[in-house]
Amino acid sequence: MFKGAFSIWGRDMMVLRRSIFSELVAVIAYPLTLYLAFGFGLKGYISEVNGVPYPLFIAPGLISMTAINAAFDESSWSMWFHRRVQRTIEEYRVTPITVYDIVIGKIFSGFSQGAVKGSVVFLVILLLTPFRIDYGHLPVYLMCIAISSMTFSCLGTICGTVIDKPENIGRVQSVVIVPLIFMAGIFFPLSSYPASIRPFIELLPTTAVFEGARDALLQGSVPAPYLLNLIATAAVSFLVAVYTFDRKMAE
Amino acid sequence: MPHAIRLHEITKSYGEFKAVDRFSLEVERGTVFGLLGPNGAGKTTLIKILTTLMRPTHGDAFVEEFSILTAGKSVRRVIGVVPQENNLDRYLTARENLALHGRLHGLRPAAYNRRIDELLEMTGLTSRQNDFPDTFSGGMQRRLVVARALVHEPRVLFLDEPTTGLDPQSRRALWEYVRGLRRNMTVFLTTHYMDEADALCDRIMIMDHGVCLADGTAAELKDAFSRAHVYQVEFRRDSDRYEGMLAGLSFVRSVERSGSSFQITLSDEESIKPLMDCLGGADIRRICLKEPSLEEVFISLTGEKLRE
Repeated sequence: MFKGAFSIWGRDMMVLRRSIFSELVAVIAYPLTLYLAFGFGLKGYISEVNGVPYPLFIAPGLISMTAINAAFDESSWSMWFHRRVQRTIEEYRVTPITVYDIVIGKIFSGFSQGAVKGSVVFLVILLLTPFRIDYGHLPVYLMCIAISSMTFSCLGTICGTVIDKPENIGRVQSVVIVPLIFMAGIFFPLSSYPASIRPFIELLPTTAVFEGARDALLQGSVPAPYLLNLIATAAVSFLVAVYTFDRKMAE
Repeated sequence: MPHAIRLHEITKSYGEFKAVDRFSLEVERGTVFGLLGPNGAGKTTLIKILTTLMRPTHGDAFVEEFSILTAGKSVRRVIGVVPQENNLDRYLTARENLALHGRLHGLRPAAYNRRIDELLEMTGLTSRQNDFPDTFSGGMQRRLVVARALVHEPRVLFLDEPTTGLDPQSRRALWEYVRGLRRNMTVFLTTHYMDEADALCDRIMIMDHGVCLADGTAAELKDAFSRAHVYQVEFRRDSDRYEGMLAGLSFVRSVERSGSSFQITLSDEESIKPLMDCLGGADIRRICLKEPSLEEVFISLTGEKLRE
């Protein structure tokens, strides 16, 4: 079962291996720039947030952001490219594998890319920071990154499945994904929001991603509402991605 | 002989428009079957239905006795598909493209590696097996797509306009592969090229607007559509005088001239006698009945009007 998904995932990982160095340079550059600019640049003005040094406050979110961005990018563009440009999805579909194999293979590829790139950014930030974390918290933190990557890989798969024009994928990123990321408190505490808005912000899946990741790394646990949000969003987006792809292929 | 492909009243509708309309067909095992038709005739729709990429609105089809509706996975296990467009993976080498196809068919490396070596040899791509398809010519890419469709040794091979865009040498090379394949499998081919159908197919069907217009061997189709009223006449001298005379005859529908040769279309088969009477004293080098080409059969069935 899911041998086809494994073959497609294996293909994507082989392609990633070939270009891993250039991929990582590109992926690390953005969060690292933000980390250096905000973490070090603003250190003199914002020394601590809720008792946490500012560079450490933003680091977990930046790592998660790298992971979910990578997962979304890989899934959306890869699905779109294989469907519309290379038409390799059609080649997969005339073999004995099912559409579920294809979509699950692609979702896991996005997830894997997110996990790999997030981990590398984590290592780089760890090397740059003057403080040390409790490594006992790592498993919970990595679980957070994994669930978040899965969610955004599914969202990317949905976009790559339903969107035919590439510029519209870019629009979804700038109009939906980027605001969701920046509204969710990577760079500032949620307490900065007016009390009337805050409950809505706390319901955002990205809030669960970033707040959950920060709590996981710094305290070793994810608050139950965030964990529930993470799991429920991942499950729903997975089901919607599989359903959407199945429907699209049946058209 | 058992049938490799059976279609039973297949219909594919898009609202009011019917791309394929109650189409039935049986293709014998071990033959090369050619489906001809202008753009939009419904050929690719039929191939997509037979390869399980598309579900029919009504009807069912069977490939090697597996229903496309209820046993799609089994159908896909026994078919190879060469689509209209080369859908090779440009991020994988030629060999990796074939290997991935083998894995998707559940083959083990020991089985598909041996087969890939054979296919690369057969298609003349052994020396380029570690190169990426983007660096290949159109003909080489097409050969690689054909090789990929054969990795799992299918029993039925679908070729959707396999030589479109290829130069004459590449087309003929591909024809040779297809001729070699007919011993082991059934080939279902769609094409725009009449010479290709003539050269390759044991049986030809011409379709348009989703329905079958004619069916038979190339010779049978030509024979059925030959009408004994188109003649070619070549004069030794005075061609100009005869051109005027022929054009003025009431039973001559049209005259086309090329140098001293004329193609004369008579209004009916019986008009040959009055024509011979009129040409009684002419110095004729050659006169013969013109056999229709497959292209003329095709045009007479589907019309000359351009399709959108």
